[in-house]
Amino acid sequence: MSAGGSGGSAGEAIPQNKLIVFGVVGGLVAVYLSYFLVSIAGSAFAFIGALGAICAIVWGCSAVRRVASYGLGTGVPSIGMLALGMGVVATMFGLAVGGIAGPVISLITAAIIGLVIGVLANKVLGMGIPIMEKSMTEIASAGSLAILGLSVTMTGTFMFDEVLTYVVATGYIAVIYITAGLAILHPFNANLGSDETQDRTLVTGFEKGAIAMLIAGIVAAVSNGAASTPTILIGLFIWYTAFTKYRELVARDAYDVVGTGLLPTEEELE
Amino acid sequence: MIDIVGILTANVLCVVLITLGGMLISWSVHFVPVGGAPAAMAQATGIGTGTVQLAAGAGLTGLVTAGAMMNMTDSMALVVASGAVGAMIMIGVTMIVGTWVYVYGVGVPPASAKVDYDPITKDRQDIYVSQGTEGHGLPTVSFVSGIIGGALGGLGGALIYYSLMSVSTGLTATNLVGLASIFAVGIFFVNAVIPSYNIGGTIEGFHDPKFKKWPKAVQASFVATLLCALASVLTIGGL
Repeated sequence: MSAGGSGGSAGEAIPQNKLIVFGVVGGLVAVYLSYFLVSIAGSAFAFIGALGAICAIVWGCSAVRRVASYGLGTGVPSIGMLALGMGVVATMFGLAVGGIAGPVISLITAAIIGLVIGVLANKVLGMGIPIMEKSMTEIASAGSLAILGLSVTMTGTFMFDEVLTYVVATGYIAVIYITAGLAILHPFNANLGSDETQDRTLVTGFEKGAIAMLIAGIVAAVSNGAASTPTILIGLFIWYTAFTKYRELVARDAYDVVGTGLLPTEEELE
Repeated sequence: MIDIVGILTANVLCVVLITLGGMLISWSVHFVPVGGAPAAMAQATGIGTGTVQLAAGAGLTGLVTAGAMMNMTDSMALVVASGAVGAMIMIGVTMIVGTWVYVYGVGVPPASAKVDYDPITKDRQDIYVSQGTEGHGLPTVSFVSGIIGGALGGLGGALIYYSLMSVSTGLTATNLVGLASIFAVGIFFVNAVIPSYNIGGTIEGFHDPKFKKWPKAVQASFVATLLCALASVLTIGGL
């Protein structure tokens, strides 16, 4: 059975190119801004990295939405796990060799790995999805930026020694892997169907990104380089705003929203 | 800047073994009886979840058992065997519990819709397949196939992990374990997803006609894993 879409391209109000700019520029600017502000003004600014991760996650959701609308032949979750699989290899490589240029090298490496896998999917596996190459490039890059953003929020820096000691060796990288992976794959997986709309899916992306931010904030509580309270508070605020918006959109897209009342008691059933 | 050629020549065997591990994982996924969403409703033969989740569940267990064995010994054969056995146990437990649920919970006999007779037990299959379904539960052949898949997947995962741990590096042991594990997980997921796109949802095991498509996925995995292997060996070797 093919799960995950109707087999055609998805309609969109916001063009994908705008979202690419939003993800790449938002992600990179936030990662660098966070790094410099933390080293100049103090650890409280570590939260900016997570904002970049949210930009990347929303971009990733949109790319997943576009490619999964064609029908992957298997569940949508596969593509989120693939995104982070490619992303984590590229990010570690980029940070290890790049120094201050690490995030840019990570992004480029991720894009190359994504492009290769996209080409393989179409040419070797014969998936026949016209936007596969472009989408895989986008998804891998978004995965890489999400890892970068959350790592910066956890440690306050993207210098590899710190990231290795406080994120990778401690195992928090696994937390990033799953929270960011779910944030990228879940929005389309939860909203797919014939009534799926772009704004509702992307708002879910914001909401899931905020949960990833919140968790990164909790992890930052044990880190010296990053403050956790601003991240947690801002994460909660974004989550609440996005969730309220999501409820509004569900009410808008639903035919009707009715209360079912409480469960009937035993006497009423008789 | 790091000495790319030097690191690669010193660790060429690791790159080869990682790539081989990735290809093994890609092949192994074709053996695992994946039923996807239809199997979750007992409308297709196999375990009721997606390829990636099953491969990841078994493969990551393999990584854990391989890692545990690495604490005891440096012997590659033992580490790789431990990974394979761990993954076999995990997939075996998943399949046997799944079968209990199908037989005693849902109330369907394990039956394959792809073959009329089970190639292993020679039991008749087609008359037990409920109308409107593509089989249900896990017949013997699927179970055996799944165990083979688990063994190959665990072998591949353990091979990747062992190779990454063997790269000559200046990292401390804790950092190396962390980095090698997350690289192994990343490469594992990439190689679990590629075959799942090749299979396109569901497969019953090695007796399924779709199984013949495996060379394509292994080719794709070869290229993708080689790329990941180069990136990971350069990362670990350069530190």
